[in-house]
Amino acid sequence: MEQYLLDFDLKVMAPELVIVSAAALLSVMDLFLKETASRKVIAVLSLAAVLAAGVFAVMGFGHPPYQILGDTYRIDSFSLTFKVIILAGTALVLLLSLHLNKEEIETREGEYYYLLLTAVLGGMVMVSSADLITLFVGLELLSLSSYVLVGIRRKDLKSNEAAWKYVVLGGVSSAFILYGMSFVYGLTGSTNLFVIRDRLMQALYSGYDLFVYLALFLMVVGFGFKIATAPFQMWTPDVYQGAMTPVTAFLAVVSKTAAFALVMRIMLIAFLPVFSPQISVGVEKLLMILAALSMIAGNAVALKQTNAKRLMAYSSIAQAGYILVPLSTLGFVLFPSLAYYLLAYLFMTLGAFAVLDVVTREGKNEELHVFAGLHQRSPWLAFAMSVFLISLAGLPVTAGFFGKFYLIINAIGREQHWLAGVMILTTVVSYYYYFGIIRQMYFRSPASLRPIPVPWTAGLVIVVGVIGTIGLGLLPDTVLQSLGKIDWGSGFDLAKNAVRQ
Amino acid sequence: MNLTGEFVAFFILSVMAIGGAVFMINFTRVIHMALALAFTFFSIAGIYLLLNAEFVAVIQVLIYTGAVSILMLFGIMLTKHRDEEKGSIAPWHSVLSFIAAGAFFGIVMWIIYRTPIAGEQVDLKQFGVARLGEAVFKQYVIPFELASVLLLVALVGAVILAKKEER
Repeated sequence: MEQYLLDFDLKVMAPELVIVSAAALLSVMDLFLKETASRKVIAVLSLAAVLAAGVFAVMGFGHPPYQILGDTYRIDSFSLTFKVIILAGTALVLLLSLHLNKEEIETREGEYYYLLLTAVLGGMVMVSSADLITLFVGLELLSLSSYVLVGIRRKDLKSNEAAWKYVVLGGVSSAFILYGMSFVYGLTGSTNLFVIRDRLMQALYSGYDLFVYLALFLMVVGFGFKIATAPFQMWTPDVYQGAMTPVTAFLAVVSKTAAFALVMRIMLIAFLPVFSPQISVGVEKLLMILAALSMIAGNAVALKQTNAKRLMAYSSIAQAGYILVPLSTLGFVLFPSLAYYLLAYLFMTLGAFAVLDVVTREGKNEELHVFAGLHQRSPWLAFAMSVFLISLAGLPVTAGFFGKFYLIINAIGREQHWLAGVMILTTVVSYYYYFGIIRQMYFRSPASLRPIPVPWTAGLVIVVGVIGTIGLGLLPDTVLQSLGKIDWGSGFDLAKNAVRQ
Repeated sequence: MNLTGEFVAFFILSVMAIGGAVFMINFTRVIHMALALAFTFFSIAGIYLLLNAEFVAVIQVLIYTGAVSILMLFGIMLTKHRDEEKGSIAPWHSVLSFIAAGAFFGIVMWIIYRTPIAGEQVDLKQFGVARLGEAVFKQYVIPFELASVLLLVALVGAVILAKKEER
């Protein structure tokens, strides 16, 4: 029986529909507002739309997985969890953007907000589909919006350079992904991940294994660019430095989470046949190498950074390496530990970027010494930053410690001791540069004693960050158990209403 | 190998496509590069036609040979186009890139020729434009709608990045 779009229950798409209609309405509204009028109202409405989408996404939990038109859209616990993380990250980024003034965005305030919305839409599509075409369109929607967001300050040379590099390297990585996908399609004749899984299994054992590996390799190269892992990380520092701080925070948290969900979905469904341990060049080994390289390269290069945003960029490369550990080892607590770490990462990274934003804005400088003597100027700000940095470094009583601990359990459980070793060693190395900032804040004398003005929106982000970081650290078991109750398997099984071709 | 009309056409078209690409790299004037690239695009459209992909061929001519090339020519005319291309940064850089690209090409070719994909003859009428349209508007309607949002983003992005500042 042939199915049409209207045969399906479209209520499950509510979060996406809210975001896409908000983006469309706000872009029209932007046209009718006076040129000189403030666009704060657009910002507030975007925030409301993101929150509404978040409410719809939370309401979706507990229903059986549902697919529309051959898995081109699917909703399950996996996609809902990631959607909630993405929307929460975006809401915090929007809050952080609220105090940007018109001059900073060069009067492109309205566009800034609805491009952020379309970027989120792309991210949400990336986490809730099991079809290569939809996944790719979502990825491109997110990437294209991000390119523009990075380059939105046209008069800023750094921003121009960042946007240019991001477009070129992002385009190259998309080409790699697409080339890999074309081989997959050529082998299997389908874009549905479940059909691909079955047919790749046949292809693997009927002499076409080299094609499978070629496709896998090309796609891993492309994905490596998108989640900023070494050796494909060269765009990250320049782009993170050139973009406005809220955009950087968006790239570091939301983009990365969405791209990571996409990688998980493709690797764990379509390439599942290549995951078996008998195969010499399986997904596992490729991803483990990527993870180890990112941890080493990110942490090593971060040691000699003097620019705060570049330091955060290298730190995020290292974090990408940590996040890859459970997937590459296919650990026993893969999903709960990963979701826990992504949540912790969201709170600590966004909090750190919020502090970074207010401090660098006041100091008109992004070098590390703007943090000098922050303790004497604004003790609470220094305290919050210390919490985030301690968490990023992975020391106890913070979310980062338990997050890393659970990630390592995956590696040790699968007897990949070398990977666990690399992770512990590089973590120790990372203490040096994280504590470099803390040293600046507490043991250096400030240039002036004026307290740093904190806009209430940025303050709210910082407070949420601190509560999240410490809260997750105080109640790790409770959180992990509730994350463990989520039906993760539903993300990788056929939906109830699936029609097999 | 028997010499069919198809083979001759394929041979000519591929020589044109590869030749255009090589010239595009070797020319020093930007305008010549753009024309060489258009030539490559056009030859590729011919190859699509040989493969019975009429729709893709027409789109290739419309979008690449037409729109993209014209856009590039406009871009060149509206900017400084008298600059001759400077030599690359370091000579070893181009050697390294050549080796890397060559190795990648070699590996892909080796894989393709090692296990040729066997396919049976199918009725070509099944794969007409009508089927394509049906697939796009029925099965793939969600990505299709998303692609329209993508185009909107591209349009808005192009406008805000290129718009001249008033005042």
